[in-house]
Amino acid sequence: MLLLAFVALSIAVVTLDFRQNSGGPIKRARDVTVTVVAPIQRGFTTVTRPVGSFFSSLAELTNLRGENERLKARLAQAEADADGLPQIEAENEELRRDLELKKSWRTMDSVLAPVISNSPSNYQWALVIGKGKRQGIRVDNAVMNSEGLVGKIIRVDRNYSTVLLLVDPAAAATARVGDLGDSGLVEGNGGGERLTLSSIDVTSDVSVGDEVVTLGRDQGIFPPGIEIGFVAEVGGSAAALERLITVEPSVDFKSLQFVTVLLETGDELQPKKKAK
Amino acid sequence: MSARASRPNGILAEVGLARIAAVTATVVVAVALQSTVLARLTLLGVIPQLILVVVVCLAFTDGERVGVVTGFFGGLLQDLLLPQSITGLTALVYTLVAFAVGMFRIYAPQDSVLAPVFAVTVATAVAEFGYAAMAIMLGQPWVGLEFTIKVAGLVILYNTLLTPFVYPLVRRVANRYRPERVYRW
Repeated sequence: MLLLAFVALSIAVVTLDFRQNSGGPIKRARDVTVTVVAPIQRGFTTVTRPVGSFFSSLAELTNLRGENERLKARLAQAEADADGLPQIEAENEELRRDLELKKSWRTMDSVLAPVISNSPSNYQWALVIGKGKRQGIRVDNAVMNSEGLVGKIIRVDRNYSTVLLLVDPAAAATARVGDLGDSGLVEGNGGGERLTLSSIDVTSDVSVGDEVVTLGRDQGIFPPGIEIGFVAEVGGSAAALERLITVEPSVDFKSLQFVTVLLETGDELQPKKKAK
Repeated sequence: MSARASRPNGILAEVGLARIAAVTATVVVAVALQSTVLARLTLLGVIPQLILVVVVCLAFTDGERVGVVTGFFGGLLQDLLLPQSITGLTALVYTLVAFAVGMFRIYAPQDSVLAPVFAVTVATAVAEFGYAAMAIMLGQPWVGLEFTIKVAGLVILYNTLLTPFVYPLVRRVANRYRPERVYRW
């Protein structure tokens, strides 16, 4: 009897989830659950992260000296480059307005957010981050880190947001190969798997190692030029209509600790006309 | 009025309020661990399903009634933390699996160390493939069969390895807060 009652309850919840619109009771229950559980997850993450970092550091000890030298060299180079940066950025913005190009992600307002938890499922790839509506985050904002595109915001609470990772099968981004190359659609295939780049013509000149970046055209939610990864494999016979391309993502999705949320999306990425 | 008459009857008397609180806390800790520490300490990129291990251990210790309730709420909690899942599907799968474990535990040898481990292994296999089949039938975006088999295999292995550590803790929590009036097999 108890079994029947709970099976019926489960089926009722499934049905309710299928029938509800964007603001139904299941959505509210999700919001409440994330708000209640996230502080506990934050506690676990805060306590265990130093332990994990310690073991990671032990494993990487031998590489640290060489990495230190490389980083010093890169810092010196970056400091030299930074001197002329404000002027270049101003010129770049001016040219973008004139050419009616979308706003670059480099000049956008953004928020740095800590990763609180990962999806507990092996079939969905998402993160909960410790910033939300109060910091200006909204649904569809792009999420990235120093390596490249991480995903997009799919749910926002007051102090927490949920990020759908690019590797999730439900995630996709319009992309282009190289600076002026062909454009297509990048889709996720699950954690640990490469991404798929589709809709690339079979006659196109794509080769292994080419960089893949966000396209950012039309009503796409991602700004242009964010690195997605590199072409790892190119397939497709001459008889096929399009190439079968796999992309090795730039981001290491398993070790994300902090991400950057870009606070502009969709129409806001369209160029703002200069005041006459 | 005697003290006996003032005691609550039914499922509350059987389980006990302190025990409900302890079991709830155990499930919440399992959820938090699965989505933080274990999500980083993956085995070939696969996360162990600690919530399922806890639910099966409780069903094995306390029977199908406790198993059904914890299976439903543990599964529902996991569903609500997923971004785009079919809410209620994990709850349904865990409810059925916990019921089966609670029913079949009477056939397990008394005080066997391997019995709960075997129960978790079989329950994980049924839950993983059962969830995948139902999710595909309900039209959820899904990865390929090869990926599903790889994930299911590794989760079965990971959950089996976790059980010798989790089962004694769950049994201690269940027994620590057991009320005087109990129904045991």
